[in-house]
Amino acid sequence: MRKAIAVLALLILFVFLAMGAIEMRPFGEPEETEMDDYFLYDEEEGSQAHNHVNNVVTAVLFDYRGLDTLGEATILFAAVSGVLTVLRELKKEGGKDD
Amino acid sequence: MIGFLQIIQILIMIGLILTALAVVIFRDLISAAIALGASSLLLSLQFFILRAPDVAIAEAAVGAALTTAIFIFAIRSTEREEGYH
Amino acid sequence: MNWKMSRIVRTVTNFLIVPIIVFGIYLVLHGHLTPGGGFQGGAVIASSTALLIIAYGTLGEHEKDLSSVEALGLTLFILIALLGIGTTMFYNFLAGAGGVFGGTIPEGINPGYINTGGTIPLMNIFVGLEVTAALSLIIWMMSKETFVINSEKKEVKD
Repeated sequence: MRKAIAVLALLILFVFLAMGAIEMRPFGEPEETEMDDYFLYDEEEGSQAHNHVNNVVTAVLFDYRGLDTLGEATILFAAVSGVLTVLRELKKEGGKDD
Repeated sequence: MIGFLQIIQILIMIGLILTALAVVIFRDLISAAIALGASSLLLSLQFFILRAPDVAIAEAAVGAALTTAIFIFAIRSTEREEGYH
Repeated sequence: MNWKMSRIVRTVTNFLIVPIIVFGIYLVLHGHLTPGGGFQGGAVIASSTALLIIAYGTLGEHEKDLSSVEALGLTLFILIALLGIGTTMFYNFLAGAGGVFGGTIPEGINPGYINTGGTIPLMNIFVGLEVTAALSLIIWMMSKETFVINSEKKEVKD
């Protein structure tokens, strides 16, 4: 019974992966291109003319809204500083109390 | 006519509800953490079907791997059973 | 002090660790061409660190190196942001200039040349460094605390 379930799960996974491999499109050709005329190819406002980038999401994250990404990186830095401070103190106390 | 992607989306939604219920119901906290990881993996699959691959990668890496690891380390440091006094 | 998982887990980790790290580096380096970027790639590399810690218990005493890598990533990110201060902060001064990451791309659907994008690939790399070091450091400190508390529990029981 368990072996049958495992084989069935393997077959389903294989079918999904094979479908993905068969339906894969050539690199750089998205499936839906309705918005590309405005966001990518426009000669004045498009991302290709502004930043020479094909990926609009990355262009927004690191160029148009770079300050937001800076804030996110600073939040991560602050979180790591807090974790280091708290856990280092705990470790020293545990060593002394023995 | 319901297409193939809609059927997969409905199945993922049912799985999301079931795993989220399992997180609440389980008394064993490690099982609850694993169920939370499974829920977040299903959520990342849903993001991928809705054509947001950036969010799907971030959700799969942070939600399914790192959060589960941190929860399991925290549970190992404390008690494993819920409601233990 | 440190635990080791079973031989099965360690062997699978030995096989999986290199593809995970390579995939993370791919996500970081191709962030301006394909879905992905600094945060996603850094999180994937940090999940490989979590796998190593869970399988082998500890990684040694390198947390000061990781901390300095994180600070270095954030500092270089701010530096790249400030280099464009002639016009505005976060100005993409390298795009289309012809130098490093300064290539131009033809209009329309194209296969994605990696030598484009200006400062965006550099920022991806720096954010990837920072996120990798930060998330690895959080998991590492949590696991260390787990070892300390578990050894104390054992001593109390004994």
